[in-house]
Amino acid sequence: MNKFLIYTVKIIVITALVAVVLDGLYTAVFMQSRNRGKVETVFNSEAKKYDVVILGSSRANNHFVAQMFEDKGLKAFNYGMSGGHLFEASLMLKLMIERKYVIKNVILEADLNLSGEKKAEGIAALFLPYIHNSETIKKHFENEKDFYELYYIPFYRYIKYDGKIGFRETFFTAIHKKTSMLDNLGYYPLLKTKGANMKNDIVNLNPLPHNKYYEEIKSLCKANNINFIAVMTPMCENVKGMDYFDKVKKAYPEILNYENAVVEDKYFSSCGHMNDTGAKLFTARIINDFFVKK
Amino acid sequence: MFFNSLAFAVFLPIVFFLYWFVFNKTKSTQNALLIIASYYFYSCWDWRFLFLLVFSTFLDYYTGIQIEKGKSEKSRKFWFWLSIIVNLGFLGIFKYYNFFAASFSELLGSAGIQASPILLNVILPVGISFYTFHGLSYVIDIYYKRIKAEYNFVDYSLFVSYFPLLVAGPIERATHLLPQVKVKREFDFQVAKEGIYQIIWGLVKKVVIADTCAIYANAIFDHYTSMNSFSLILGAIYFAFQIYGDFSGYSDIALGVSKLFGLDLLRNFNYPYFSRDIAEFWRRWHISLSSWFRDYLYIPLGGSKGGLWMKIRNTFIIFVVSGFWHGANWTYVVWGFINAVYFLPLLLSNSNRNNMDAIQLKFNFDSVKVLLSILYTFSLTCIAWVFFRAKSITDAVQYLKRMITSKDFSFQYLDNERYSYELLLMIGLFVLVEWNNRNKIEPLSGKSSLLKLALAIAAILALGTYSDYKEFIYFQF
Repeated sequence: MNKFLIYTVKIIVITALVAVVLDGLYTAVFMQSRNRGKVETVFNSEAKKYDVVILGSSRANNHFVAQMFEDKGLKAFNYGMSGGHLFEASLMLKLMIERKYVIKNVILEADLNLSGEKKAEGIAALFLPYIHNSETIKKHFENEKDFYELYYIPFYRYIKYDGKIGFRETFFTAIHKKTSMLDNLGYYPLLKTKGANMKNDIVNLNPLPHNKYYEEIKSLCKANNINFIAVMTPMCENVKGMDYFDKVKKAYPEILNYENAVVEDKYFSSCGHMNDTGAKLFTARIINDFFVKK
Repeated sequence: MFFNSLAFAVFLPIVFFLYWFVFNKTKSTQNALLIIASYYFYSCWDWRFLFLLVFSTFLDYYTGIQIEKGKSEKSRKFWFWLSIIVNLGFLGIFKYYNFFAASFSELLGSAGIQASPILLNVILPVGISFYTFHGLSYVIDIYYKRIKAEYNFVDYSLFVSYFPLLVAGPIERATHLLPQVKVKREFDFQVAKEGIYQIIWGLVKKVVIADTCAIYANAIFDHYTSMNSFSLILGAIYFAFQIYGDFSGYSDIALGVSKLFGLDLLRNFNYPYFSRDIAEFWRRWHISLSSWFRDYLYIPLGGSKGGLWMKIRNTFIIFVVSGFWHGANWTYVVWGFINAVYFLPLLLSNSNRNNMDAIQLKFNFDSVKVLLSILYTFSLTCIAWVFFRAKSITDAVQYLKRMITSKDFSFQYLDNERYSYELLLMIGLFVLVEWNNRNKIEPLSGKSSLLKLALAIAAILALGTYSDYKEFIYFQF
């Protein structure tokens, strides 16, 4: 039995060593990534200057045509992340500030995402390779209930989120395989999809009165002299519980309601996402309202 | 509690410690602990089904004794048929009742008679097909006086409920397992080490091969109408490796875990995809079920004795019943039927026992023939697997039809944002490792075992699929 116990200990030690080596290897790969996604690009970048930085979820990613800002002479990038929540938007801004980005304006899409403070598992995972290399990321995750496992168990984060930062992603990162994430200055255009769901039910959705990460973004902008523009972006015609946007307005008077800036379904790819034409109309309106001297 | 779960990683060492350090005085204490552990393990799915398991155990225990004690043939027959009917009755109600009720209603509907069947709102108790077959083999063996009835209820209960085999086999025989639980087990380092190798290799098969293949197979099968020939061929291959990795991986873990407790279970898989014909495939795939059907259905039906038609009839019966055992769906029945059709030429030409020897390859034409026959047999199994995997027979037929008619062999991007061909390298590597170790139970033992172990652990950690977790396929049967 003693022999077996020693053998078992050996296996445990081997497993721990393998996990440490794999952790180091994967992290090293992500540390040199530059062209796969927005998180890696920001993390591995140096100081940049922007007139406009766009943050938010897919409703930012698919709605703000960054090139239209550039055409007006404004240096812009759409850092909206599909599937992301305010947890990730806030962390993204923190990383930019840590890397000494000089930003004049932040446009934050703040509407449906105000209803929760939870992290978006799949998007938050993209920051995890750097958790040991960034105090900012570490601190941002510190209050999460799985922080200790993610931080202290070697390779655990790569196992837990293998679909996002597992072997396949690491391999493609290592060979510098490009994605379309950074194309169009971060804006991802959607097409008009036939038979798309043009109904949405947000009756049960309520904005949190003091969303922690929204307030965090607001404070960060204030502390760094960044002009903060928070907007609600359009939704299709057939939405139940449209008073959600009124509730947001009540809780956060500074957030501007652009829900009706584009209304017809022909401008939507799905109920919550405009197509490229709709996005262009909407972006034109935003540029006109905030960046055209009158 | 799945074998590849964190809960099991905690459960197993605790039971191991208690078994060898606290309850190690006698075989009775060892067996008592294993029963408690097994019942706890089973109740983790649904504690209510524990009553069914205990009832089934008690039924076979009691009827077994009554059959042995029976003074007249009439009395022996009564207890024998009572056990068979109740056992199959439970299986029928839980597993097949809704299927038959719905099929009957459809049949009436096609004849213009409207009927709304009374369906039962029950979930299938996990492992019921396996422990029912345990019990049946035990009672049948007693009836035919092949074995003596077990009078120790604890020992018998352990034979039926032993946790490594409880939910997905292997389907044990009383002649093999009962004698082992009748004696006190002594710890054997070499056996336990073999157990560890099997557990780790089983995990490689499950989380690296099966669960990763599942991602691609699902994406292809679920959208087969938009897939081209190449993707559909790959889909069938991926599913073949998914089901192999899943079930043989489970069996390896079960056998390995059991070795840690000093109990040897029947081998369930013997590198089936290296078979040279379908008969050999069925001698290597789910061996405990194939041999069960051979011994308790095929042979009692007359086996290969009698005329040609009798042989053909018996072959079709065991394959179709075997298919139906897997689940209450016509797709499984057709899968069984197709395998019977594959088997038929071998039966008619009396060549179903041609490939009994181990495969040896040399640099000659015969070896090329062997490799081609392996490839041919694998292709046949892949076609049959399409029926096993598809939601309906129509889907399976359409899948195969499209595979031939699409004639497009370009690389396709799947709905899950992966290319259909991505897994080929990993599968190729896996096949190579298994091929080179086909004469061993698993590839990790032997020379440089510690290094191979480290590589297997690295594969489990780095290449395993965790976020898209899949239950063991055979748990649903």
